[in-house]
Amino acid sequence: MGLTHRYDATREDLALDQVGLTVREGEFVAVLGHNGSGKSTLAKHVNALLLPTGGTVWVGGWDTREQRFLWDIRRTAGMVFQNPDNQLIATTVEEDVAFGPENLGIPPAEIRRRVDEALAAVGMADFAQRAPHLLSGGQKQRVAIAGILAMRPRVIVLDEPTAMLDPSGRREVMQTVQRLNREEGITILHITHHMDEAVLADRVLVMEAGRLVLSGTPREVFSRVEEVKALGLDVPQITELAAQLHAMGLPVPKDVLTVDEMVTALCPSSSTT
Amino acid sequence: MLKDITLGQYVPGNSPVHRLDPRTKILGASLFIVLLFLAKGLPGYLAVTAFSVLVVGLSSIPLSYLLRGLRPLLFLLVLTVGLQVFLTPGTPIWHWGPLVATREGVSLGIFLSYRLVLLVFVTSLLTLTTSPIALTDGLERLLQPFKRLGVPAHELAMMMTIALRFIPTLLEEADKIMKAQMARGADFETGNPLQRARGLVPLLVPLFVGAFRRADELAMAMEARCYRGGEGRTRLKQLRFAFVDLGALVAVTLLTASVVWLRLAWPAASWLGPLGG
Repeated sequence: MGLTHRYDATREDLALDQVGLTVREGEFVAVLGHNGSGKSTLAKHVNALLLPTGGTVWVGGWDTREQRFLWDIRRTAGMVFQNPDNQLIATTVEEDVAFGPENLGIPPAEIRRRVDEALAAVGMADFAQRAPHLLSGGQKQRVAIAGILAMRPRVIVLDEPTAMLDPSGRREVMQTVQRLNREEGITILHITHHMDEAVLADRVLVMEAGRLVLSGTPREVFSRVEEVKALGLDVPQITELAAQLHAMGLPVPKDVLTVDEMVTALCPSSSTT
Repeated sequence: MLKDITLGQYVPGNSPVHRLDPRTKILGASLFIVLLFLAKGLPGYLAVTAFSVLVVGLSSIPLSYLLRGLRPLLFLLVLTVGLQVFLTPGTPIWHWGPLVATREGVSLGIFLSYRLVLLVFVTSLLTLTTSPIALTDGLERLLQPFKRLGVPAHELAMMMTIALRFIPTLLEEADKIMKAQMARGADFETGNPLQRARGLVPLLVPLFVGAFRRADELAMAMEARCYRGGEGRTRLKQLRFAFVDLGALVAVTLLTASVVWLRLAWPAASWLGPLGG
């Protein structure tokens, strides 16, 4: 049975309607969908901020409805939120990163080690003593990620972490997320509006009105240009261009995802340079 | 215009006073305030003055910073002196209409305001030499023993930390809202005080709504990071009670002893009038 969530018991509409989903360890999954499609609700189920109305959420073998596993679940599945300002708690960067481990009751020397490691992992080690409000948006989100890393999670759920950032901030955050996924093997559930971010994932899920409507590798999903567009979403610009060229009968594959691929497709000789 | 508000007037430094454990400083300052009101007679005042001069000297905080702290108190000081000078019964020395200044009044006024000045000096020295985080940490640990009596030590400290964290953020937001309102013709700068106060409503309403939304999101972020109150929580930074702290506390204790002794030894310090508590 799929995962169901209803915010208001008096209403008929479901925020999540029979969603069935398994994320493998180490996978990078992007969730797309326009506002109100239920993607944020789905994210909040992963670390038991919301509990299912129907169905079950398993996080690494723990059922999120079991109160005694709550803190294990939240430590294992960290969450980064959209607004960078509203998730930093302390007055200095290092104190903020220490917040999670402090809550877990970890000894001070170990917290110190974890804070330094986590800040180094997101490239913010030089900012340890800074006040959060003096950082840029991308830096704040990296600090928020470090705050999660310091709890040694196996999964990081990112709920539109780049929605309030400028392009350079988005790039910073996405590079950090990709590196954590590849080098540390951390499972990523990335919720986003940006197609170019979804392209980086192993798997893309598209949600619509609380249902999971499309699922597959970025190539599979985005090659279905018409379907994706019908859901009110865009495909990456370059993919759309490829699809149009393909429709005009040019020998271009429909599933081009990046500019480099397009270059290779258009002038095969240039790929050697 | 909101940029000018400085909060927690902490002046970073590495003086012996800066390095003291915040708990020592809070305790010391509180004790000193009590002492100020116990001090009696010229010797007593000399003792507290000597101590203040010593601490201010050690702190390497420029005197101008301390004097600036007095500015908001100026009115209170003048009022205190005025009331004492004219309302204390005793030997008249000068009169202006129905107001009679007395010798006792003058000395009482001077000493009372001197007390106030020292009080401001010492308390501002505490905030000038202690970072807000250290101050909250110190308060939390000092209040720890009172937890059994129902004092929410951890919650108070957490509230202070969050307040300190969000004050700059909210100021920034207020600035943004203000500019947005001004762009649409709102006027925050002219008119009488009443009009100006009314003009603030369109600023305050969105600011409050925003603050509640932030609080909601922050609470969720804190929960997601396993926050569940102060129970079983550890801290990154441990406070360390060092040798200097012991020294400082001994010094304050000695001062207390001498002030109390002076008070007892000169029970009839009549030559200074009705001074002291």
